[in-house]
Amino acid sequence: MIIRPISSKDLDAVYELAKSAGIGVTTLPANRELLSQRIEESERSFSERIEQEHAYYMFGLEDTEAGTIVGVSAIKARVGLDEVWYNYRVSTTVNASKELGIHKQTPTLYLTNDMTNCSEICTLFLHEKYRNSFNGQLLSKCRFLFLADFSERFSNKIFAEMRGYTNTQGESPFWEDLGRKFFSLEFSQADYLSGIGNKAFIAELMPKYPIYVPFFSQEARDVIGQVHEHTRPALAMLESEGFNFNGLVDIFDAGPLVESFVHGIRSVRDSAKRFVMPVQKTGIDEIAEPYMISNRSFSNFRVGLLDSDQIKSDTVSLNHDLMDHLQLGAGDTVRVVALKAKRSDA
Amino acid sequence: MVIFRPSRFADLPGIEKLINESAAQVSTLPADRDKLGEKIDQSCRSFAGDESMAGKERYLFVLEDTESKEILGTSGIDACAGNGAPFYNYRLDELIHSSQQLGVFNKVPILYMTHELTGSPLLCSLTISPRYRKTEYFDLLSRSRFLFMGQHRERFQSRIIVEIQGKQGDSGDSPFWDSLGRHFFDMDFATADYYSGIKSKTFIAEMMPPHPIYVNLLTKDAQDAIAQPHSAARDNCQFLNREGFRMGRYIDIFDGGPTLEADLDNLTTVKSTKTKQVKLSDNQTGLQYLMCNTLFEDFRATLANVTDGMGDLLRLKRSTAEAILVSEGDNVQFAPL
Repeated sequence: MIIRPISSKDLDAVYELAKSAGIGVTTLPANRELLSQRIEESERSFSERIEQEHAYYMFGLEDTEAGTIVGVSAIKARVGLDEVWYNYRVSTTVNASKELGIHKQTPTLYLTNDMTNCSEICTLFLHEKYRNSFNGQLLSKCRFLFLADFSERFSNKIFAEMRGYTNTQGESPFWEDLGRKFFSLEFSQADYLSGIGNKAFIAELMPKYPIYVPFFSQEARDVIGQVHEHTRPALAMLESEGFNFNGLVDIFDAGPLVESFVHGIRSVRDSAKRFVMPVQKTGIDEIAEPYMISNRSFSNFRVGLLDSDQIKSDTVSLNHDLMDHLQLGAGDTVRVVALKAKRSDA
Repeated sequence: MVIFRPSRFADLPGIEKLINESAAQVSTLPADRDKLGEKIDQSCRSFAGDESMAGKERYLFVLEDTESKEILGTSGIDACAGNGAPFYNYRLDELIHSSQQLGVFNKVPILYMTHELTGSPLLCSLTISPRYRKTEYFDLLSRSRFLFMGQHRERFQSRIIVEIQGKQGDSGDSPFWDSLGRHFFDMDFATADYYSGIKSKTFIAEMMPPHPIYVNLLTKDAQDAIAQPHSAARDNCQFLNREGFRMGRYIDIFDGGPTLEADLDNLTTVKSTKTKQVKLSDNQTGLQYLMCNTLFEDFRATLANVTDGMGDLLRLKRSTAEAILVSEGDNVQFAPL
């Protein structure tokens, strides 16, 4: 399994992947035209035919045996530059009077554009059949190795939007109490429109003034900042990398935003450089303690997995097969880091 | 005879008795003796032209039975709503949220906190003994204020306002308060209203949330209560409507009750007021009118039967003239009931 930039030749595979995602996954809408645009954008980004702040880097997980893309992930260099980026900030209003013995804290949502100009990790989707072993972790964390070597292309802080709570019918209690009253749309419809980058309607229909949370039902109040059940593992993974809830939530489903400084991300902080030492046989049949390895190339970025035993004090021992996949030669420098945070780090 | 006159200290016990008798809570007329005394004192100073009340005069009148000396009612005018502090209301407004692309066009009602009515003359403190509620003495108590204002026109801005108690549930709770104010105070409406009376309305208002309120986020009951008068205030609303008051865009920030507005010069009473010279008489015949003198500090009004003839003279019974402190040759003003 190898991570590499997505190319326009992958369009069919990515479209099939998106179709397999089904309704409700808005990070990868099954819209061929849109996907084609995104892939083209990504190609131009990797070949530096786009302004840095408009770059969108899309990575694919390739099953090298089947020769097909089975998962994607991406980094958007800057959000909120072409369109307006909205979030609610969960803030507090205090009413106090000593004379009346009142000290009342009221959670209040402020509509903000606070994430404007920040880099986002996004568009994560892995085919159901491949949701095993280390694939999910690799697909997500490969981006941190990219950040480690090309941090000047991104903002100091990196964030991710986590999918918010919806019930078994796919309804968001937060949407029912807020969005529905202003948008006159179904949650899924609004989420889709937003997912395909059609955000003008948000500015047109969204309430602009702060919203006092006690006006919501208990159910809606409870889900503010809560992730969808299926997103819990992803959240736990990002938290183990050093990401924290930053007080902002999605305007539709109130899912949380988590963020970290680039230098604070475990995979960036703990990563180290090594030289490539080619070997005939690594002597490793199965990876016991997985490490990620990147080739540190910008336009031909590759990430693979190896075992901790292959990593020496200055070098990594790679067989020719992996060297080919990673497009490496003897003596090249690579970046390696443990795939998973050690318990003490988590 | 029943007369309408400025209140004085001696009225304190009588007003207390009146408040105890009348069931309706009047938050601008406190039951607390000290507060009540202070209110009468402010009124006396306002009538006396005391500098301490300049620009925030508060006039309190009483309805008195001159024989029994019983106080039958009170009514007041705050010359400048807020009395030198901001006067808070919600202004009911509407935003249009529309998206051509999605074919959505929503009118979104919204409440803005405003001080816009600060300084407008505010009718207040209306209390009447239950026995007199549906009689012509209610007219005397309420409308004599309009005679007074019309006569001392330069003391009042044109737009006069009156706050009507808002809709309440069967158990005396306020649906509007329960959906809005309560979240920020942790107290029921009656308690907040009590504090509003003893502290000041401004004090409480300044603890209300400062941002505009989207009406569609309130409960259905609260939305339905917006600008709806308390069932006990409906008669008074009709009375005020006949006088020329209309619901504008303002509501009370606590209970959502309507604030009615009128143009002082267009009040029915003011428009129908005539001025004539008194000719004393020993008997009275004709229709019943609201009748008042043209004094300020010694303002008096009563109900009198007179014949409004062609000339500039008006025959007025001697005892009536005495009661409103006028002598032969003085001017009186009068308006039909």
